[in-house]
Amino acid sequence: MTAVDRYVGTKPAPVVSSPGATETASPAVPTPSAPSVAPPALVKLPTGQHDQARRRWVPRGAERFLGVVLLFVVWELAAQVGWLSPQTLAAPSKVVDVGWHMIEDGKLGPALWASFTRVLWGLGIGIPIATALALAAGLTRVGDDLIDRNVQMLRFVPVIGLQSVLILWLGIGETVKITLIVIGVAFPVYVNTYTAIRQINPGHLELARVVGLGKFAQIRKVILPGAMPGFLVGVRLATAIAWLILVFAEQINATNGLGYLIIQAQTFFLSDVIIVCLLVYAVLGLLTDTFVRALEKRVLRWQPGR
Amino acid sequence: MATRSVSDPFPAEALAVRARGVTRTFGDRTVLRGIDLDIRPGEFVALLGRSGSGKSTFLRALAALDTEVTGEIFVPEQRAVGFQDPRLLPWARVLDNVVLGLPGSDSSARGLQALAEVGLADHARDWPKTLSGGEAQRAALARALVREPALLLLDEPFGALDALTRIRMHRLVAELCARHHPAVLLVTHDVDEAVVLADRVLVLTDGVISLDRPIASTFPRPRLRSDPRFAELRSELLAELGVEDDGSLTADSVPDSVPEPELVLDPQESSS
Repeated sequence: MTAVDRYVGTKPAPVVSSPGATETASPAVPTPSAPSVAPPALVKLPTGQHDQARRRWVPRGAERFLGVVLLFVVWELAAQVGWLSPQTLAAPSKVVDVGWHMIEDGKLGPALWASFTRVLWGLGIGIPIATALALAAGLTRVGDDLIDRNVQMLRFVPVIGLQSVLILWLGIGETVKITLIVIGVAFPVYVNTYTAIRQINPGHLELARVVGLGKFAQIRKVILPGAMPGFLVGVRLATAIAWLILVFAEQINATNGLGYLIIQAQTFFLSDVIIVCLLVYAVLGLLTDTFVRALEKRVLRWQPGR
Repeated sequence: MATRSVSDPFPAEALAVRARGVTRTFGDRTVLRGIDLDIRPGEFVALLGRSGSGKSTFLRALAALDTEVTGEIFVPEQRAVGFQDPRLLPWARVLDNVVLGLPGSDSSARGLQALAEVGLADHARDWPKTLSGGEAQRAALARALVREPALLLLDEPFGALDALTRIRMHRLVAELCARHHPAVLLVTHDVDEAVVLADRVLVLTDGVISLDRPIASTFPRPRLRSDPRFAELRSELLAELGVEDDGSLTADSVPDSVPEPELVLDPQESSS
């Protein structure tokens, strides 16, 4: 008699069992000692269904865009019929037309480039600074005491509110715009990286000790890879925030860039130009986010489901 | 090669573990009360105890993971620890996990060999999260073995495995220990596992070793469950653990009952 048999024998045998269960529980086991229990009413479960059998009249990828298409159709119709005045909100067709003209005139290209370089500078300076601070604070006690409290305090100062004081310090040139982005970018990267370092699986640190990793190897092989997902979350938040702050920063006395185009268009009541610029912002944001996602996919390929 | 550096303070008798008066308190609770223990090289010792008896605390002390413990502990330089969870770093491939912290230019060759020994040669390049529970625990075993430990500390390494995978692991561990003969301290709450694997069984009760029972000489391997000595030993150990063994294998009396060890199961067969 095997352990499984005996185990089953001590339990009241199920009155009704599926065919599979009967096989494993060895049908030879008699159940004379089982108390007689009234059989429960059974329901028939649906079987033999295939998920793919649900017919799709459009592929799933296209289906996701249906809502977007619908929105644009309604928007266009509303403009054509005259519910929307061109001053309030230009029709999509008008926006495309204006956008095309702006590209042809050579207005959009340089503006886009100016904005894009500002964001790149902001991210390029902000991310390394924040990462260095997070590492110092996360890995050393001195760093933690000196840096973390200060950062956690400053975190609650609204970045946009720093505008005035930064203009006093840095003037109204490129520096102030990039500095605003750097500050805005630094906080999410710092907070996420620091938290990730602090939340490294203690079991992994214990393992590192057991296999005799030195301090440096421990950082390189356990702490940094372990903190990587948190860091990348910070970077993704940072790219979104960078564009957000850019829009604002470019409205400080800019002479180029998308924000400058928006301010100009606002002065002349050109809602179509404003919408073109906003759409360009959205597309740029989407592109940078896609880039970071691709990076995540590559760096975190050890995670299941990537 | 594993150097038994423990022999330095005791040149007369070479030991793999020498512990004297090991005591550990957490706040006002004393978990270990002056434990003395010697383990000879190559000896397989199972340490049984109820949950909360301090058996894992003792193992952690021997693994140098608990430095607040008091008393004297001598262990070999070459140690390896197997935890209840496999503790593979998810971002490192299986082979890189096995050779983690292993010095030497031939480390990956040795790692591959260790993986082959546990039947995972084909998974060297895999990510740990793609392994099944049994495979992950085998990879952890390879990580321990590749260090050629003179002392192998196993902290309920089979606790989280299903019953069938556990039998395969028992056989694998028995085989590997017979081949590499490290001294082993296996912490477990599974009486049958202790009887199947160990040369000597200890029971930890209220912070002291209440039973120290050598079984290698009286009960040679293979230890079949059908053997009357098995049942006798099991009853004795269960009684020491405060459980009445009425002979029926109920889920309450033996929480981790394992089916007959004489079942023929190929450890090479993947447990996926």
